[in-house]
Amino acid sequence: MKIGLEVHVQLPTASKMFCSCPTADADTPNTHVCPTCLGMPGSRPVMNRKAMEYGIMLAKMLNCEVSDTVWFSRKTYFYPDMSKSVQITQYDNPVGSGGVYSLGGKKPIRITRIHLEEDPGKTKRVGDQSSLIDYNRSGIPLAEIVTEPDLSSPAEAREFLKQLIADIRHTIDLPDGGERSIRCDCNISVGKERCEVKNVTGLRNVERALTFEAVRQTKVLKAGGKIDRETRRFDEERGVTVSVRKKELESDYGYIDEPDLGIFRIGELAKSISVKESPLEMSVRLSREYGIDSKAAQQIVSTSVDLAKAFEKIAAAAGSAQTAMSWTAGVISANWKTFETGGGDIEGIVGIVKRFSDGEITDVETGMELKAYMTGTDIRTAGDRSSGLDQIIEDYLSAHPEIISEIRKNGKAVNRIIGHVMEETRGMHSSSDIVSAAKRIIDSKI
Amino acid sequence: MASLPKLNEKYSMFSCITDDLETKGFRFLFSAKDNLTSKDMETRCGSRILEGYRPVFDATAIDRMRKAGGKLIGKNSMDEFGFGTFSTNSAFGVPKNPFDPERSCGGSSGGSACAAALIDGHISLGVSTGGSICCPASFCGVYGIAPTYGRVSRYGLIDYGNSLDKIGLISSDPNKLTEFLPVISGKDPKDPTSCAQPEPGPKGRKIRSAAVPKEALESISKDVRSSFESSLETLKSMGVDVKLTEMPFLKYAMPAYYVLASSEASTNLARYVGMRYGRQDGDLTLKFDDYFASFRSEYFGDEAKRRILLGTYARMAGFRDRYYAKALKVRLHVISSYKKVFAGCDAVLTPTMPFAAPRFDEISKMAPVESYSADYLTVPPNLAGMPQLSVPCGYDGGGMPIGMQLVTDHWAEDPLLTFAADWESVFETRRPEVSP
Repeated sequence: MKIGLEVHVQLPTASKMFCSCPTADADTPNTHVCPTCLGMPGSRPVMNRKAMEYGIMLAKMLNCEVSDTVWFSRKTYFYPDMSKSVQITQYDNPVGSGGVYSLGGKKPIRITRIHLEEDPGKTKRVGDQSSLIDYNRSGIPLAEIVTEPDLSSPAEAREFLKQLIADIRHTIDLPDGGERSIRCDCNISVGKERCEVKNVTGLRNVERALTFEAVRQTKVLKAGGKIDRETRRFDEERGVTVSVRKKELESDYGYIDEPDLGIFRIGELAKSISVKESPLEMSVRLSREYGIDSKAAQQIVSTSVDLAKAFEKIAAAAGSAQTAMSWTAGVISANWKTFETGGGDIEGIVGIVKRFSDGEITDVETGMELKAYMTGTDIRTAGDRSSGLDQIIEDYLSAHPEIISEIRKNGKAVNRIIGHVMEETRGMHSSSDIVSAAKRIIDSKI
Repeated sequence: MASLPKLNEKYSMFSCITDDLETKGFRFLFSAKDNLTSKDMETRCGSRILEGYRPVFDATAIDRMRKAGGKLIGKNSMDEFGFGTFSTNSAFGVPKNPFDPERSCGGSSGGSACAAALIDGHISLGVSTGGSICCPASFCGVYGIAPTYGRVSRYGLIDYGNSLDKIGLISSDPNKLTEFLPVISGKDPKDPTSCAQPEPGPKGRKIRSAAVPKEALESISKDVRSSFESSLETLKSMGVDVKLTEMPFLKYAMPAYYVLASSEASTNLARYVGMRYGRQDGDLTLKFDDYFASFRSEYFGDEAKRRILLGTYARMAGFRDRYYAKALKVRLHVISSYKKVFAGCDAVLTPTMPFAAPRFDEISKMAPVESYSADYLTVPPNLAGMPQLSVPCGYDGGGMPIGMQLVTDHWAEDPLLTFAADWESVFETRRPEVSP
C-alpha cells in the first residue's frame, strides 16, 4: 500500500497573500474583501512578503532545497468560489523541492515539493437548489506540502500528519485553532492505480478516509475489478469515500506564468531566515546532548518547549543534567502551567535549583521553594501542604512497600496513591501534585 | 463640450460620455480607452459581457491625470478587450476615421486616436498590447507613444495580455505627449511591474542614427513606400544617419506574440462568467458550469471567442511546450536581437502600418490571419516591451494619413519625445475637416 499526502496549511499572515484585506475571521460574509480578492477587472495582485518568508521557513524545516528564483503561475478552472477562475499558485520553480522529513526520528518521508498559493472562497449550500459564496477566505495564503508515496498505512499517515502539524505550528507560530486551518488531500493505491480523496480535515478523518479507501480498493481488486484514477470525496458522517470526477493531471490545468507578479530572487532572503528547532529535533538533541532518557526528553518537550528550554538553563546552572532532569520532570513540570499563565521569571527557578546543587538547601526545602515560587503562594502554606502531602505518601508507602515496585513496572499504579491521599485529605491536593510528590519520593528511594 | 454628443453620433469615438459637461476648474480635458477603470463612468472594454460594470476604483493612469487637473470627458470605443486592428470588434459603436468616415480608425485604441484627431488640444489614454496605439495613431494622422513595458502602472487596466500591455498617449500635438507622459509614469505599489523602472534619463537627447530593417519594406503599399522614402530624406536633412539593415528576427515576433497574448487573454477572460459584475442576467436554474458556458457563449463576441480557443489550445497539456514555452524563448531572442541593433544605432525606423486606413467594406472581407498580419511592424517592439512612437509622415492620393514608427531601447522614451517635437517643426501635419 502506498500513501502520499498533499497538506494545505493556511499561513498566519495578518493580511491576505495578494492584497491588504485582513485574514482574521469576519462576523459577516463578504466583508474582508476588496477588488483584488474578488477578482474585479482591472485589479492586480501584490505579493505579501511575509507569506514568502513562511514558505521559506517551512521549506527549510522540511529540508527542501530552496529555489534561488521563484515565480507564480496561473491555474485555470471554473468554479464559483474561485473569483478570477484562475488560481495564483506555483508550478515551475516552487519555493522548495526535494526534501526529506523524518517520521518519529526514524523513517524518512520524501517531500516532493512545497509551494505557495491562494485559497479560494467558500461555497455554502443553501437548500437543494442554491449555494452562497463567501469570499472572505479568498486570497488567504496557503502552503501546499506534497509528499512522495512513502507512507505505508493509514495509521502511519495519521502519525506523520500529527507530527508534521506539530512541527508546522512550532516553525511558523501557527495558532492552535483546531484543524480548521490545515486540510489534506490523500492519495492512496493498493494496486497500481491511485485515487485521491480531496479536502479531508482532521487527523482522525484522514485515517478513516484512508482506511475506507484501502478496504474498498482491496475488495475491488480481489473481485477482479480495476481501480480507476479518480478524485473522491470523504463523507464524514457516513465514513465513506464517494467518487467525484475522473482525476485530471496537473498539466490539464493549462498553467502559464503569472505575469503580474514578476520573478522573485529569494536566495538572499532564504539565507537570512533560520528555522527554529522543531520539537522532535529538540527532544532528540536533549537526549543526545545531556545523556537523558529519550522518553523523558520527549515528555518535557511535549509539555512545553519553554519547559525544555528551562531544563537547559537549570542544567547549565546546576552543572548536572540528572539533577536538572529530576526537578524539571517533577515539581517544575507539575506546576508549569500555573507558572506560565502567571508569567513568572525562569531565573527564579534556576536560582533555587542552583542553591540546591550548591548544598545550600535541602531536597525538601527545594521542593517547597520551587512550588511556592512557581504558584506564587506563601512558602509556609506551600511547605505545610507539601510536607504534609509528603508525610502522608511516605506513611502510605512504608505501609505498602510493594507499591513502589508496582509503580516502577507500571506507572498507572500511582493511582492507588492518588486514591489514598484524596481520601485522607478530602481532595486538598491536586492529582498532579500528588503524582509529582510520589515520583520524587519514589525516585529518592532508588 | 456641448457639441461632443453630436460629434460622437457621427464618429463614435466614445462608448460613454460624461454626464457632467462642466469644465470650469479643470486645467485640461482628456479621454481614456474603455479598458481603463473609471469610478464615474461605466467601463465595458467594448464587450457586452461587461455591460453595467461600474468599477469602484480609478485606474492609476486616470487617477494621475485627474490629480494633474484633468477632466475625463469620456471613455473611448475599442475592439472588445483590445482584440483587433480596426476597432470593428466593438459591441458599442465602431469609431469612424476623421479623414473619411467610410474608413477605419485602426485599433484597438481606435476611439482614443479618433478623439485625438477630432478635438483640438486633446490628449487621450490608449493601451497597446501588439501595436494598438501606433496603429490608430497612424491611421488617424496623429502622434502616439506606447512607452516601455512597466513605465506606466497597469493598476486599473482590464487585462488583455499582462506581460505585453502598455498604457500610452495619443494627441495631435506631440508636445502633449511630452507634457503628460511624466504625469502617468512612475512607480506604483499597486502594480509591482511598474516598480522596476529607472528614473527618466537626461532630457533632450536626440536620435542621431536609425536603422531601417529591409524586411519592413517587403509588403508595404506603394503609397506607404513613397511617403516613407521621402521621410527618410527629411530625416537625413535633420542630421539623422539612416542605414538599411537586415533584422531577420522580426518575422518570429508575430507568431510568438499571438501565442503569448492569446494564452494570457484566455486566462484573463476566464473570470467573466456572469457573476459579481457586468451582466448577470443568465438563466439561474442552470448548473453553475452550464450557466457560465451559456453566458460566455451569449455575450462574448466572435473575436474574443477565437482568442480564448487559441490561447487555451496553446497552453493545454501536450502543446504547452510546443507553443507557450517556445514563445517565451522567442520573446527573449527578439529582445536580445533588438539590443544588438541598439548597440549600433539609436532607433529602429519603419512605416507604422503597411497600408493607409482601409474602408470598412474591405475589412469585412479580410480573413482573421490577414488582419493579424497587418500588425507585423508594430508587434515586434511590443513583444520586446520597448517604447514605440508613431508620427504622421505623409498622405496618400485620397488624403489618408500615413505614419512611421520609431522604436528605441528599453526606458529610452525621452529621445522619442524629443524627436516627435522636432519632427512636428519639419513635417506639415494636416487636420481633418470636421463637420458634426
